[in-house]
Amino acid sequence: MAVIAHDPSLPTQTHAEVTRDVIKTITDKPTTGYYILAGSMALLTLVLFGTLGALLKYGLGLAGYAPPIMWSIYITTFVFWIGIGHAGTLISAILFLFRSPWRTAVYRSTEAMTVFAVMTAALFPIIHIGRQWLFYWLIPYPNQRFLWPNFKSPLMWDVFAVSTYLTVSSTFLMIGLVPDVAAIRDHVSGWRKKLYAALSLGWTGADSQWRHYSRAYLYLAALCTPLVLSVHSVVSWDFAMSIVPGWHGTIFAPYFVAGAIYSGIGMVLTLVIPLRKVLKLDHMITEYHFDNLAKLTLFTGSILFYAYGMEYFIAWYSGSTFEQTTFWRRAFGPNWWAGWSMIICNAFVSQLLWFPKIRKNITSLFVISIFINIGMWFERYVIFVGSLANDYIPYAWGQINPTWADWCILAGSFGWFGLWFTLFYKNFPIVAIQEVKEMIPMPRRKAHGGAH
Amino acid sequence: MLSLPSFRPREIVHMLDLTRRSADMRKRFLYGLGAVATAVVAFAAVSRPSDAQQQPTVGPSPLTTSDSSKLQGPKQPIFFRHDIHAGQLKLQCQYCHYTVAESSEPGIPALSTCMGCHNLVAGKTKENQVEITKLKTAWSKKQPIEWVRVHTIAKHAHFPHMRHIKALGTQACATCHGEIAQMPQVYKVNNVNNMGFCITCHIERKVSRDCSVCHY
Amino acid sequence: MADESTTPSVDRRHFLKVLGVSGVGAAALTGCSTDRVTKLVPYLVQSEDQVPGIATNYASTCTECSAGCGLHVRTREGRPVKLEGNPEHPTNAGTLCARGQAGLQSLYNPDRLKAPMARNAAGGFDEIKWDDAIARLAAKVGSAGGKFAVLNGYGPSTFTTLLQDWTKALGGTHVAFEPFAREAERAANQKTWGRDDLPTYDFAAATHIISFGADFLETWGPVVEQQRGFAASHGFHDGTMSRHVFVGPRLSLTGANADEWLMVPAGSEAQVALAIAHVVAERKGHPLAGMLMAYMPETVAKDVGLTSQQLHDLADAFIASGPSLAVAGAVPTQHRGAVDLCHAVNLLNEVAGNVGKTVLFGAGPAVTDGFGRTRDLFASMGRGELQVVLVHEANPLYALPKSGKFLESFKKVGFKVSTASVLDDTAAQCDLILPNLHSLERWDDLRPRPGITGTLQPVVEPIFPVMHTGDVLLKVSKAIGGAVAGFNAASFEEHLKAEWQKRAASGKAGDFDSYWRGALGRGGIYEAAPAAAKPALVSGATQITFTKPAFDGTGDYVLMPYPSSMYYDGRGANKPWLHENPDPITKITWQSWVELHPDTAAKLDVREGEIVELTSPHGSIRSQVYVYAGVHPGVLAMPLGLGHTAYGRYAKDRGVNALDLIGAADSDTFLPYVSTKVSVKTTGDYRKAARVDGEARQLGRGIVQSMPLAYAAKGMTPEESYKAAGHVEGEKNTERELAAIEGFAEDQAKATQYGDYANPHPKWGMAVDLSRCTGCSACVTACYAENNIPTVGEEQVFRRREMSWLRIERYWEGGEAGEPLAVSFAPVMCQHCDNAPCEPVCPVYAAYHTPDGLNGQVYNRCVGTRYCSNNCPFKVRYFNWLKYNEVAFPEPLNLQLNPDVTVRARGVMEKCTFCIQRIRGAQNTARLEDREVRDGEIKTACMQSCPSGALSFGNVKDPEAAVIKWKRDPRGYHMLEETNVRPSVTYLARVLHQPPVATPAGEAH
Repeated sequence: MAVIAHDPSLPTQTHAEVTRDVIKTITDKPTTGYYILAGSMALLTLVLFGTLGALLKYGLGLAGYAPPIMWSIYITTFVFWIGIGHAGTLISAILFLFRSPWRTAVYRSTEAMTVFAVMTAALFPIIHIGRQWLFYWLIPYPNQRFLWPNFKSPLMWDVFAVSTYLTVSSTFLMIGLVPDVAAIRDHVSGWRKKLYAALSLGWTGADSQWRHYSRAYLYLAALCTPLVLSVHSVVSWDFAMSIVPGWHGTIFAPYFVAGAIYSGIGMVLTLVIPLRKVLKLDHMITEYHFDNLAKLTLFTGSILFYAYGMEYFIAWYSGSTFEQTTFWRRAFGPNWWAGWSMIICNAFVSQLLWFPKIRKNITSLFVISIFINIGMWFERYVIFVGSLANDYIPYAWGQINPTWADWCILAGSFGWFGLWFTLFYKNFPIVAIQEVKEMIPMPRRKAHGGAH
Repeated sequence: MLSLPSFRPREIVHMLDLTRRSADMRKRFLYGLGAVATAVVAFAAVSRPSDAQQQPTVGPSPLTTSDSSKLQGPKQPIFFRHDIHAGQLKLQCQYCHYTVAESSEPGIPALSTCMGCHNLVAGKTKENQVEITKLKTAWSKKQPIEWVRVHTIAKHAHFPHMRHIKALGTQACATCHGEIAQMPQVYKVNNVNNMGFCITCHIERKVSRDCSVCHY
Repeated sequence: MADESTTPSVDRRHFLKVLGVSGVGAAALTGCSTDRVTKLVPYLVQSEDQVPGIATNYASTCTECSAGCGLHVRTREGRPVKLEGNPEHPTNAGTLCARGQAGLQSLYNPDRLKAPMARNAAGGFDEIKWDDAIARLAAKVGSAGGKFAVLNGYGPSTFTTLLQDWTKALGGTHVAFEPFAREAERAANQKTWGRDDLPTYDFAAATHIISFGADFLETWGPVVEQQRGFAASHGFHDGTMSRHVFVGPRLSLTGANADEWLMVPAGSEAQVALAIAHVVAERKGHPLAGMLMAYMPETVAKDVGLTSQQLHDLADAFIASGPSLAVAGAVPTQHRGAVDLCHAVNLLNEVAGNVGKTVLFGAGPAVTDGFGRTRDLFASMGRGELQVVLVHEANPLYALPKSGKFLESFKKVGFKVSTASVLDDTAAQCDLILPNLHSLERWDDLRPRPGITGTLQPVVEPIFPVMHTGDVLLKVSKAIGGAVAGFNAASFEEHLKAEWQKRAASGKAGDFDSYWRGALGRGGIYEAAPAAAKPALVSGATQITFTKPAFDGTGDYVLMPYPSSMYYDGRGANKPWLHENPDPITKITWQSWVELHPDTAAKLDVREGEIVELTSPHGSIRSQVYVYAGVHPGVLAMPLGLGHTAYGRYAKDRGVNALDLIGAADSDTFLPYVSTKVSVKTTGDYRKAARVDGEARQLGRGIVQSMPLAYAAKGMTPEESYKAAGHVEGEKNTERELAAIEGFAEDQAKATQYGDYANPHPKWGMAVDLSRCTGCSACVTACYAENNIPTVGEEQVFRRREMSWLRIERYWEGGEAGEPLAVSFAPVMCQHCDNAPCEPVCPVYAAYHTPDGLNGQVYNRCVGTRYCSNNCPFKVRYFNWLKYNEVAFPEPLNLQLNPDVTVRARGVMEKCTFCIQRIRGAQNTARLEDREVRDGEIKTACMQSCPSGALSFGNVKDPEAAVIKWKRDPRGYHMLEETNVRPSVTYLARVLHQPPVATPAGEAH
């Protein structure tokens, strides 16, 4: 008889296998490799906070700031990390609402990535201000001085945007985890059992719980969706609302959002590709999934391509000597190297994904993802540093010369992010068990199928 | 290693603004006032020495130095009784704090100001004499007294005393400093270094709330 | 110092004592806790003229150069906090140059000697008691017999007279020492008119000025007075202005302010002068014309690298209208032909009929003994003819070239005494140092020129227990007795009073006390100078013998050392204010450099910052390169003033001293600064230059706008003039100007319901006349002094972190591909925009708009996001990257801090506030007197100090205010008009004698 073609979006294994495979990633004893990884991440985290301590003691002057460039490496890294977050929310929330089948295998890892990326980004507004210990002045609270923050300031919007994003995305992650931790709870013992018990909020898998759960999840997804667009739009306004040539652009919000998702997926690929090997989940996270991720990358990458072109066009079309000078110097000025690495890594490299061969080849995808990460960091560097370096008054033009304090914070931020992620994937299901199970087609005739 | 003589007058530019002149006049007047007050005290001291105890005491009863530590406010090198000078003797605040109406600084009385009276006034009670002796020794040693500061305003806030005296009158000191005239030892009634304290008043009286009026 | 109770320090009690009870606020850190136990230290006796919290002005006299400008010393609680010009003084009329203002930092210099020092066996110095010190000096001087000499750098004064008489009484020699003495000019005047003195030049009266390398705006002569005169004639007024041509190998600041620069080879200036003189004489039918036949433009033109046409035109212009003026004789022209040059210029003035009109004899600057006598003195030292030498207020071992072996000669003297208050290069070689009181701590007077006697009075208790050299002399006399027994005044103060009593008696001036007090109050006695008859040419004058000056060495380049605008003769090198006030031309701070013409640099293949080795027959030094199109390809120019071997932490081992390359042997009357040729060798080493300018060209952004005289006279706006010149029209600023003047408060009130914007308030505004601004940078130091701006040091300036609230922007025009180099300056401070971009972006309202139109900055509210600076189109906001406030003011420099201004802490943004403390002060005074603030009552620090009077400040809502008249001037424009930020600062375009180079904003290149 005719054989039904296998739908690549559907898992191939049975319910039991899914649970077993995923839980194995947690119950297996960590390898030495894992300890080395986690250890080095912890070390970098120490570097981060050590440097922050130095900045607190001596002042921001330790970093390579040079007027007129008042924002440099730190803000660049801040926006880089905020951007990373977005892919997570996009995949977990928006694709969930669109019922796109291929998200299930990857969404948990991307969501975790989101939370940790935002946690990293949230450090930077504090790190980069002159009197860090007064950060709370940016938070509106009633006081006897009758003083309030300035709600006109984009930086205020930023505070709200980031904190909201952190709250919502972490809640979303926790809720999504509930049934899974409940499942694991029943497979482990000791302190972990306690932990999962707590996190599973007394989940028993009862029908009523499932009903409420799916509703709650749906609403949270609906709540997250606008954030994908709003948060990075607000971040972009930190710059677009100013009058700095190269910042003052109406295109900034969509431009930044696209860039954010682009960079986010880049980071997803960078993380998941090795992960599935390490955790032996390659039969769950397959070429099929990467193919889809790659298409998304190609799409957002093309938007960036357009945005870059449009920026230059507007600079010329505006007829403003200031805009023109800025963009001319972006390509041929002292920072030309940054400018070109941004355009090549983002606009050009992403175009390679038109070819299915490259798209479906995990190795090439991984390489490309690295390019994306680098390119997106440089995009921010070029926009912020490159634009500030040469604005209205030529006499005040200058260039920065980063110091150890800049690089330590940058490297440290990766450590901080990596530490959380490393701990996460070893202690929580990196693939959403229950959602994968949902995808498994009704058990075909077979000796006692899925576990119920 | 640095030299420590007190500052002696120099020639001023002859065309200084008028406030300076009027300031000197006011000062001279206050000195006169002080002289009168001194005479009164001296007379009281001589005429009715015996009923020092019986006399109706305005403010708290005579205190000894030892108690001053029990009193509110920081203990001062000399137990100077505002309640006696400002309270009982009704000396004008500006007699000692002589620049309060013309400058942002109220002015702390020079030792010479104290000696103006205490050349004559030696104090009636044992305790007072002890304190006044401290003053006299300091004077003879040419050693200024280091008073402990009670009211301080953050250095990034500029508080022009004269503007407030001008607006509220010379009796308005108590508005911020409390009833000093009742205090044997001065203590902080209001936290004058608390911006809320300033701004509340400024709002009530509908006067400027512009930051740069105080902060520059 | 806010936490003076937590930082234990010996000086604290003194600090408080000096302050009385207040002013500790001066050194407060923003946002610091104030709950520490602080003490109130009252005065023992309250001084009559010191009111805590109110500044008192004392009149004094500046001793930072020989011009002797009048000072008003602003003191608070008995300590000077700022030096300003004395409005009554004829020389500077209330203004003061950067060097004069920085005098405060020599008073509070942390490296001042705290006691007499005697050399010990180990070769080091020991602190000794004063009695001991005086005894030692008395012993040596007493036993010296005639073998005793004094080298005195202090000008003519009662003290100097005393010193002279005293020295004479002891049979010693007294030599007056002045590094940049104008010997060549004196010699020339002798030759021309048989006069041994110097004239004063009336720049204000001149309609055409030719300067032959004479930097009359920087370091040559009484610069403040000359700058005032120059601004008066060359600043655009009543539709006209004088014309200024600069002839010389290097475009100095003075040259940069000229309408035309004729670049001629070093040493050929005289030919130009003679050529012009020849043409002028012919035109005027002056007998001299015949004598000058040899110098027809046609003959000299090729020599000096000009066309004969240029020379003819120049000559015609020179006599075209009114009295003209030619000047020469400054250090950059002191080659061996300097006397000929000055003589030639004298003749030029003579034939042009300027003598008696703009060249005025009788009141010229006091003359000193000159280099000749100094060299002879050292020669006799070298021959071991002297047992004791006393050096007073002079640093000859720095100011004289090494090659003269002056150090070796000096060492041959048995007992060397210095009165330096800082261990300078000379004092370091002495056996005994008796630190003198600073001029603000002592009784003294000064006679910079006939008719003017400035007084000095102690305006502060001595910061360190040192002694007036006058008192030292008297005490020594008492000890020696004998010949000097006559010098028996109780103290120098008494001696001074006695001398003045004589003067009062002679001058039939009523009772002495009022006379004396009056003099002290006005800062001196100012009488009309004894008028001198118009000098006549001496017979020999017409024998013109011009020979090209000879240069030592065989190098390819002539070395031209020139006095630095900031360090002058080197005495400025220990003052951080002057280090951080960039050189007006190169904009380099904290360093010395060598200037190469781009062609030269290309030939040698060196770039800016590369270190080259310069070698002359007299020595060799290594210095970093600065490529400058304003220097003749055959010339290497180097600033003087750095390269000290001692002289305190800020000066020691910083930069190099160009004098190490020049010879001193041959010339009789003056030190030939420009007399050596050097060869250049690249070393491959590199040293970054701490420059404060980014891009040095305007890129057509109309930042410094200029217009031709013809158009300005027609009353055109810069835009109209630009259009008239056939360009596309730029934006108009008129309606914005009106909005700024009228609609401002309403705009603000509409913008927010908070604050009382709707109520009537003044609106403060400023105007800057770029046709008067010379870029001298006096305002920069004034701003540092008034606003407690920290100096951050070279390392931080490398990162462009200088905190200069007010900066002088310097832009090059042309100078490439053969076109002439032009320079334009503009002081740029916070523009206090009505529509300020910095305000809305501050998340905590630290930057906000005050009801009276200021762009407020609340330091203690600032958290340091620095968005305001990013969003500021003028980039006039400065951030405290590190704890500058703790490193910039080592004790006792902290005493200079202005108590009215908060000292900003690390992590805080700061900027120009239009001297809000002065505004509030005036408002307080006015309120106490129940009146409004009068126009002109508030002078910002920059405006107050400006010798050119290029700034105006006031309430723009007051139709009578001076500033409004300026703002209504058609030349007015706003920087970066198209950003629509509506600045409160209006610039009045420069006016040039040629078509404008800068293009108005809105025009892309």
